[in-house]
Amino acid sequence: MADKRSFAARIARFRIVNAWWIRIACYAASIILLLAVWQAFGNSFGVLFVPFSKTMTSLWSMLVSGPLLPALWVSGKLYLVTLLINIVVGVTLGLLLARSKLFAAAFEPYVYILYATPTISLVPFVSVLFGFTFWPRVLVSVLISIFPVLLGTTEGARSIPRQHLDVAAIFGSSEGQLWRDVIIPYVTPYAMTGIKQSIALSMVGTLVAEFFLNPDGVAAVMLEGTTIVDSAWVLAITVFVAAIAVLLVGVGELIERYLVRWRHSAVG
Amino acid sequence: MAALGSGLAPELIRDRRVLPRWLTRERTAPIVTGLVILLIWQVVVSTQLPSFVARPSGIIMAFPSTVASEEFWIDVVVTLGAILEGVVIGSVAGILVGVAMGRVREINWFLSTYIRALYALPLIALVPIVIIWVGYSPASRLVIVIISVFLPVAVTTADGTRAISKDYLDVGRMFGARTHNIWFGIALPSAMPHIVAGIELGFARGITNAIAVEVLASVNGMGMSVFTKSNELNENGSFVYVLCLAIFAVGVRAAMIRFRHWVAPWYRGQ
Repeated sequence: MADKRSFAARIARFRIVNAWWIRIACYAASIILLLAVWQAFGNSFGVLFVPFSKTMTSLWSMLVSGPLLPALWVSGKLYLVTLLINIVVGVTLGLLLARSKLFAAAFEPYVYILYATPTISLVPFVSVLFGFTFWPRVLVSVLISIFPVLLGTTEGARSIPRQHLDVAAIFGSSEGQLWRDVIIPYVTPYAMTGIKQSIALSMVGTLVAEFFLNPDGVAAVMLEGTTIVDSAWVLAITVFVAAIAVLLVGVGELIERYLVRWRHSAVG
Repeated sequence: MAALGSGLAPELIRDRRVLPRWLTRERTAPIVTGLVILLIWQVVVSTQLPSFVARPSGIIMAFPSTVASEEFWIDVVVTLGAILEGVVIGSVAGILVGVAMGRVREINWFLSTYIRALYALPLIALVPIVIIWVGYSPASRLVIVIISVFLPVAVTTADGTRAISKDYLDVGRMFGARTHNIWFGIALPSAMPHIVAGIELGFARGITNAIAVEVLASVNGMGMSVFTKSNELNENGSFVYVLCLAIFAVGVRAAMIRFRHWVAPWYRGQ
């Protein structure tokens, strides 16, 4: 028993002392293991599951001479327009919902119903009314990704402490000063949390709009690979999209951290 | 002073002047907006647009015949059944993996790269590769729903079980808790609000992604029927399906709030 305990204690000590090395080793082991398994299995499954090396070759040829870069340009445009609309319209509507009681009472239930409804199921109606062009795609994409910005802004504007507004009123703030010095600084962190989520969700919106409204952009290239059952093709784009997603989420977190660096002292 | 500082009061006063008093009451306002939206929709569609475009009166007319058909109930059972099955499997798997990640640092380091990368990835991008691997079949839908639920649940469970208070652990150890006691007796219950949030998020994504698979892989179900009915120019019937999906989604949200009150009655979060 005593031996066992000291052994366990030694392991516990080892884990603490070498934490940094163990961490690196775990990351490295997980990546190497995945690539090894992928490579090994890829060679034995044939067409359906290609090895890692073949996937990367496929990705490289698609990037250099294939359809991926033009498609990326098409999707990127849709993504940026969506994100811009989300920020501008989402923040505006969010402030309206928070600052006008009548507007909130009248529209809030419908905002939540629209938020809960799976937007994909509305696609046929959008296409019948507006067709299959760029702006209908933007509409679908925005409907999927605007809500975190909208609801985050509303939450922020509703939770402004009364004291802040009272102090501003006592010192005779004009409406403009009130917004510049109290409301905007207070709401920014909340809106940023929503915008961060929207940076990721706009990508979902972009892909959904491209998949279901007459395939275009990256989604069309993906579906093309599915139709000809070229798994190297589809896997390569999936990995590529995953890399972009990780990058965008990282950028969102950086922006949020930069813009809300006073949040903990102000709110917490 | 308070009225000056509240910021809300001026708008309220202005609103009351413009509209009759009963309109501004919180209960009547949403009903009035709803009726106005329906009226505008009805008038615009019936005067400006072709006759097959969905409109409130048409949807009400289409409702009984759609709901009475056998095909509707088959769609409901296969789609909602697959979603519920996927949510159960995905939640259980997500909780197990999440607890392991939250309590053992090495497992977290080993898995987090992939779990977080997949979590960031729009899951709709996984649909094509899953279709290639699993086939144009209902199994693809189930697989996608499971992944949609598994990822958020694993991430939130890992975050929740990692952040448990040291006091709980000390008390547990003092009473001789073993590893499984700490995992499932202390860490898991205290992470419940996180886990329920993860399941709720996964549920919403699962519904969306199930519809996406149905349409992209031509699997029969509610999502597929929304699109086929619309293509057959039966938009009113199609909208009945959308209504049912929306009711299901809203019901899930309400049910998850009750579920959280039940498993974590102490939790007073948002």
